[in-house]
Amino acid sequence: MEGLTSNAVIRFSDVSKSYGSLLALNDVSFNVEEGEFVVIVGASGCGKSTMLNMIAGFDQPSNGRIEVQGKEHSGVNPQCGMVFQQYALFPWMTVEDNIAFGLKMKGQSKAERRQHAQEFIEMVGLRGFEKAYPKALSGGMRQRVAIARVLANSPSVMLFDEPFAALDAMTRQVLQEELVKIYEQQRKTILFITHSIDEALLLSSRIVVMSARPGRIVQDIQNDLPHPRNAEVQLSERYVELKRHIWGSVQAEVMRSIEGAA
Amino acid sequence: MRAEPAVRGASSAPPLPRRRGPIAGASKLIISLVSCILIIAVWEGAVRFGFIQPLFLPAPSQIVNRAMLMLEQGTLFGHVIASTWRVMVGFVLASCVAIPLGIFLGTSALSRAIFDPVLSFLRPLPSMSWIPLSLLWFGIGESQKYSIVFMGSFAPSLLYVMEATKGVDPLLVKAAQNLGAKQKDVMLEVILPASLPQIISGLKVMLGIAWTCVISAELVAAREGLGFLIMNGKEYFQTDTVVLGMVLISLTVMATDIVFRALERRILKWKD
Ligand SMILES: Nc1ncnc2c1ncn2[C@@H]1O[C@H](COP(=O)(O)OP(=O)(O)O)[C@@H](O)[C@H]1O
Ligand SMILES: [Mg+2]
Repeated sequence: MEGLTSNAVIRFSDVSKSYGSLLALNDVSFNVEEGEFVVIVGASGCGKSTMLNMIAGFDQPSNGRIEVQGKEHSGVNPQCGMVFQQYALFPWMTVEDNIAFGLKMKGQSKAERRQHAQEFIEMVGLRGFEKAYPKALSGGMRQRVAIARVLANSPSVMLFDEPFAALDAMTRQVLQEELVKIYEQQRKTILFITHSIDEALLLSSRIVVMSARPGRIVQDIQNDLPHPRNAEVQLSERYVELKRHIWGSVQAEVMRSIEGAA
Repeated sequence: MRAEPAVRGASSAPPLPRRRGPIAGASKLIISLVSCILIIAVWEGAVRFGFIQPLFLPAPSQIVNRAMLMLEQGTLFGHVIASTWRVMVGFVLASCVAIPLGIFLGTSALSRAIFDPVLSFLRPLPSMSWIPLSLLWFGIGESQKYSIVFMGSFAPSLLYVMEATKGVDPLLVKAAQNLGAKQKDVMLEVILPASLPQIISGLKVMLGIAWTCVISAELVAAREGLGFLIMNGKEYFQTDTVVLGMVLISLTVMATDIVFRALERRILKWKD
């Protein structure tokens, strides 16, 4: 529908991906517009990570085209910064050096890097921890470093692969709120994978529901909930309606994947 | 007796067996010291009272006397320094080649396939077996000693480094590439530091091997060094010189190990 004229940042055209005889993604087409916060939900194993990996250039589609900012990429594309569930911090680097890693790769001088990194250290609330090593940080703080590390590299797209899944509920909530703030400030295009429908509803501007393997898009919903999405919004009729709607199709797909596996 | 918590008495469960705590630092040191003194005393006594012929094993006091004598003559440290220097040169040379090459081989399947036959051939060769060739190639000078240490420790070091690179979490490589790291950056900024703990523990083992290499080289052909000291002692039936040489080897290896450990702690302060 959003035809050829749209300035999509990410464009999937009939993308399929198979690993040997296993078909992970089947004929997926969709666009992500600049500034959208798209949350992808779906049963585990339905190809969500595969989609993100292909956008980042870690993997190539077996069929179809993936364009990022109008171009196909054959290798890893640092314009799509990835935040991993397992943080993937460099344990031998301090918080500051982790955050400045991308800047170092760009050839910035040490002084420039430090100054630049400081901005993001403060953005994610890690002032005072500049010289700490990851081993000394809690899970929530580590994920903050990972987010700042990607932000500092100023990508046009941010990819999140279940980033808060390993955190406790309280920490998760705090980080969700911070992420919304960062999104509102920075207006990055974001793709975010989660298992939690609540997380999807809290964060997204749009929710994509995937089918069981082979993954296809079964629902594509604009999330029109008002901001800030506080307790009041979470008890509103519209919230419950959306949640029921999404839960219905996710549940159907989870059942299908369980039956498929049996 | 210490008072047990009240609950313990009330519960019907059998009391946990009381575990003896680890021996604390200071008392461990005292125990070790006493044991050391005891061994030396028994040894000294056994020689003094004629249970052991000094020709087969001289008393500790005789060894100390020999050490004092050599100290006065100014030859003692010469031997220690000669051997230590040879170990260091050979070992550093071997590491300087083995670490970059090992990281390169560890990350490139093609180059691994190319080098594998050579490495498989070199690995089982004991350093001693290189002595004749090295004498032929380098004569009996210092470079021959370096080459023995190098040949003895290079192939195993290389294998240690390659093995260490295999243990690197591929997610870290992915994250680095995602942040713009090119192949060279991945090797220098990720693979090297990530495998450094493993590489260092490999090098610690290699340092021991390097000492074995240098001593064997000195036993065969040398004019100074601890291996030479032992061999020379044997020629003149000076068993105290022989044992002194052994004691010095042991002490020097211990000292280098302490230095190495301190270095390791500094380099790996990010480890848990
Ligand atoms: N590198 C790979 N090799 C083989 N199979 C893979 C690989 N990556 C993913 N798969 C398979 O593809 C399917 C989709 O995986 P993934 O994208 O990780 O799912 P999700 O993130 O939705 O849980 C799964 O069945 C998984 O086992
Ligand atoms: Mg996944």
